[in-house]
Amino acid sequence: MVSIEVIMGNTYDHLILISITLVASIAISIPLAFASLYSRFIANFVIRFANLAQAVPSLAVIAIVVPLLGIGFTPALVAILLRALLPIIKNTYIGLSNIDPALVDYARGVGMSEWQIHRYIRLPNAYPAIFAGIKFAAILVNSVAILTAYIGSGGLGELIFEGLISFNNEKIFAGAIPAILIALIIDVGFTALEKRLMPFKYKNTD
Amino acid sequence: MISDIVVFGIQQEGFAYISQILSVWESNDLTLRTIEHLYMFGIAIIAASIFGILIGIFLFMNHRIANPGLNTLNVVETIPDIPLLVFLLPIVGLGTAPTIIASVLYSILPIARNTYTGLTGVDKGYIDVAQAMGLSKREILLKIRLPMALPLIAGGLRIALVFSMGIVTLGGLIAAGGLGASLIVGIQLYEVDTILVAGFWTGFLAVFFDGIAESIEKWLQRRYASW
Repeated sequence: MVSIEVIMGNTYDHLILISITLVASIAISIPLAFASLYSRFIANFVIRFANLAQAVPSLAVIAIVVPLLGIGFTPALVAILLRALLPIIKNTYIGLSNIDPALVDYARGVGMSEWQIHRYIRLPNAYPAIFAGIKFAAILVNSVAILTAYIGSGGLGELIFEGLISFNNEKIFAGAIPAILIALIIDVGFTALEKRLMPFKYKNTD
Repeated sequence: MISDIVVFGIQQEGFAYISQILSVWESNDLTLRTIEHLYMFGIAIIAASIFGILIGIFLFMNHRIANPGLNTLNVVETIPDIPLLVFLLPIVGLGTAPTIIASVLYSILPIARNTYTGLTGVDKGYIDVAQAMGLSKREILLKIRLPMALPLIAGGLRIALVFSMGIVTLGGLIAAGGLGASLIVGIQLYEVDTILVAGFWTGFLAVFFDGIAESIEKWLQRRYASW
């Protein structure tokens, strides 16, 4: 029997891990996406690297991090970051660059500064794409965070792996069910938030 | 003279690296692991593309259930990969079976969704011309819609390739063999050489298959992208 305290404790660790990585990946990738707007070189590099790195299996990324950084919380964080950055950068860049050039010209015409164009034209235009990227990244972070328990990050994956080793189905499910619930809550929550923040996106389709 | 010595030195160092890699390769049976890996990967991809395309066509023919069907598949997609794998354990046991089933479950959605989108997204003009020529509904589906949907289907297949590569690697955790097993051995025994060789080889294989899928997708786009 797995006590409820153990499950709660592991869920707490898991939530801490995924929220830190999610916030960090948003904080890193949005400036990078803006930077790639200004330089073709960075843009090409970022998009190509994002496509390549997205193909690499998570377990391989986690394994390669071990010789470089050892095991524990920080290496796990880095491994998850490597996976989560790419969808956000890619989506943000696509959202920011897929803008009608005429709109930018109008904004220049009425005398908006470069900063104002970013703030009032490009960013609102890119919101749906950025949001989709963050949602995808959140789900990805949740699933990779389970795997990083293998290199000692703690969290719900720990219960699953302990259960796998001792062939204890109850323990496996004590880790797996909260993880699935978290994934579903992320999905439903982000969709609701998206509807609240961007009602215009849903006007045409409904 | 000096340059000869330097070149010789570099060559020797290069040989040393290669022989080290080869010895790691031999001691971990990476050839066998790669074959296991690709075997599971191949079965998963073939099954997923058959099911995915059939589901996509089925949803296209039954418009009313298309949205609920795709949403159900979407829920499967949000479930993290390891919980999905371990939920299959009590049902089908350890080994290759749960790994293949999990990768098929994951890969169906991108293929089915892209097939459905591709079939519905065909320009109305082509359908009108086909109808005017007297093609039946079935012929329109097989001769007009399906070929024009091929680039999108290939795009879905490419996403599916990436997904199943990831899941097949995870199969190492539940005794399915494959390159994931070597990675796990490396992490558990902290053999840095094994981790690096197996890790980079796994990454290379994934990128390689992704590249092949990309070129097929590009070729199909050029071939069928008249719209």
